[in-house]
Amino acid sequence: MGKSFDPSLIVNFVPTLIHYLGVTLQILAASVSLGMILGITAAILRVFRIPILNQFVILYISFIRGTPILIQLFLVFYGLPAILLFINIDISRMEALYFVIITYALSNGAHFAEIFRGAIKAVDHGQTEAAYSVGMNNGQSFRRIVLPQAIRIAFPNIANAIIGSLKDTSLAFTIGVMDMMGRGETLIAATAHGLEVYLSLSIIYYAVVLLFEKIFRLYENRINRHQAVNVSAAG
Amino acid sequence: MIYLKDIRKSFNQQPVLKGINLKVGKGEVVAILGPSGSGKTTLLRCLNFLDKPDEGIVQVGDVQVKTKKATKREILSLRRQSAMVFQHYNLFAHKTVLENVMEGLIVTKKYKKTDAKRESELMLKKVGLEDKHHHYPSQLSGGQQQRVGIARALALNPQVILFDEPTSALDPELVGEVLSVIKTIAQEGITMVIVTHEMSFAREVSDRVLFMDGGVIVEEGSPLEIFNAPKEERTRQFLNRISRDIPIPYLEEKAN
Amino acid sequence: MTIDILFIWTAFKEILKALPTTLFLTILPLFAGFLIGLAVALIRIYKVKYLSGVANGYVSFFRGTPIIMHIMLIYFGLPLLIDQISAKFDWGFQSNSIPISLFVLTALSLSAGAYLSEIFRSGIISVSNGQMEAAYSIGMNTFQAMTRIVLPQAMAQSIPNFTNIFIGFLHTSSIAFIVSQKEITGAANIVASTNLKFLESFIAAGFIYWGLTIMAEGLSFFIEKKATAYNRGGLQ
Repeated sequence: MGKSFDPSLIVNFVPTLIHYLGVTLQILAASVSLGMILGITAAILRVFRIPILNQFVILYISFIRGTPILIQLFLVFYGLPAILLFINIDISRMEALYFVIITYALSNGAHFAEIFRGAIKAVDHGQTEAAYSVGMNNGQSFRRIVLPQAIRIAFPNIANAIIGSLKDTSLAFTIGVMDMMGRGETLIAATAHGLEVYLSLSIIYYAVVLLFEKIFRLYENRINRHQAVNVSAAG
Repeated sequence: MIYLKDIRKSFNQQPVLKGINLKVGKGEVVAILGPSGSGKTTLLRCLNFLDKPDEGIVQVGDVQVKTKKATKREILSLRRQSAMVFQHYNLFAHKTVLENVMEGLIVTKKYKKTDAKRESELMLKKVGLEDKHHHYPSQLSGGQQQRVGIARALALNPQVILFDEPTSALDPELVGEVLSVIKTIAQEGITMVIVTHEMSFAREVSDRVLFMDGGVIVEEGSPLEIFNAPKEERTRQFLNRISRDIPIPYLEEKAN
Repeated sequence: MTIDILFIWTAFKEILKALPTTLFLTILPLFAGFLIGLAVALIRIYKVKYLSGVANGYVSFFRGTPIIMHIMLIYFGLPLLIDQISAKFDWGFQSNSIPISLFVLTALSLSAGAYLSEIFRSGIISVSNGQMEAAYSIGMNTFQAMTRIVLPQAMAQSIPNFTNIFIGFLHTSSIAFIVSQKEITGAANIVASTNLKFLESFIAAGFIYWGLTIMAEGLSFFIEKKATAYNRGGLQ
């Protein structure tokens, strides 16, 4: 089970592994953007109870929330080529990276949809009434008044979901993606210093998570400036 | 300006409006009084279909809507005849004071941004908030927020402004500033329907007072008639209850 | 590649045999995590000297890193530590005699403790100060106020969060297959590779997790209704 512990190796491993952070962030950026589109669409279908599609979205969200990300990853990896083969598209040679992005986009989409749905419902109904009272129609009221406020309400939860997704990317190596974890596996195979590799990886993940939390907190303060009381209540 | 015929409305089989008929002329200021649960707020909300009546005809300005076959398009054009000032202000929380007033002009009146801005600044000056353009609603006092609400309604230059208890969510010391703004614009000849609990304000500002109870208009007349010589027993009881500062049980106790 | 629908059922029956392992790897860490989490939450709320710094660091690190890291760090690190201590004191004890599942359980317990402590903390904080003062006013001490008044309310309020954690850890236990535990995902992997029917096996595993999740949600809904009965207000 490996040789004796050598902390100095961590100093060597961290720079090697951090080269592959780009792959991790690429997976994250692509899956969060796609997931955002998917999530907002799904939330709107749920909120406005569009027949059939609403039921379909309920099933989709229930499935994603009901299964581990690993299982979803395997299902997409083995299932998507099988499904697409029915319509004569062969993607069996597609890079593993894309399967990962598709899986995480589907997963993020479901989580974002639930968050957005809750946020849309949390916007005070008086806002919609006021929009009607100045003559807006349903679409205008939703786009200009409700949605921007819902996005602000949703932000902290979306931020948490993104950080969760970042941590989940550590499982992409199981279908052969060469990200930080994938590179870590090869390092262990080469050096048999598993503990040092995982300590290095932990340090990188932890630093990135802390950085993301910091950025999200700053951004949250910025978008919530319209809720800053105490500026001048009476004056 | 406003014409209502046989408006009926129930919530969960509980009738709230039992056949309301009403005409309001151009430039008239009408105050609606009545105990809570009398249907006065519902009546006001039926005027712009925030509550959809079950039966009857609603006409505001040139737009007439027969409730039973109201289309979305008709409801929208009816709403564009009026503007509303809400009890809880309902300012757009994510927009500044200036943007709140501009929003309706840009979206529904298709103003250019610069024109909307000029018009909105004028309205904010009128309600005495020219120094608060870039504040967000949460940074204002209740009285200031309600004045923004009034500016937002006024900017649309509507046929009618509907006031839904505009001061009842305010701290007593902030009521005055809002009422005085409403009084000023009342003198400009804008048609207004005001649901309120402020008796002396209703008496001062309105041309006509309606007293509602149990989903019907019990009595209507000039402020003088209603406040000084109410004909109906229910009106008298209501005014007695509400116009005394000292609660009646206390007086009775003293008398003994 | 075609899908063999019938094999999904065969796989389902085979994989279901691994359900006890999955439940074992889910429930045991949550029990241990419950105790760790409660202790850590109280240490942080009362800002216990020295300990609260450690507690903060522990929660931040375990919530800030993927759970697979915790499993791997314990899996690689604990044996090294044990062997060294064993050699020093001449116990003649070798870490390879320890089953891997024990390392997994330890790692998952520490993760669960970190996540649960945050739930306890927000639950306790959300029970109003007034409740604590009311308890003092009738002569309770802090311990009594905490255990009799605040914690019961905090727990009841936290039931939806507990459910999410339970479901989260049910799904997280699938990571254990990477260190060759034969829980549901591990079993599915074995069924898949021995029969060369990957898709069918993982569909079957997916249904099992999905079913478990729906049952857990249903149960939680039922318990929550009972537990927060005091909070319903009005006439029943």
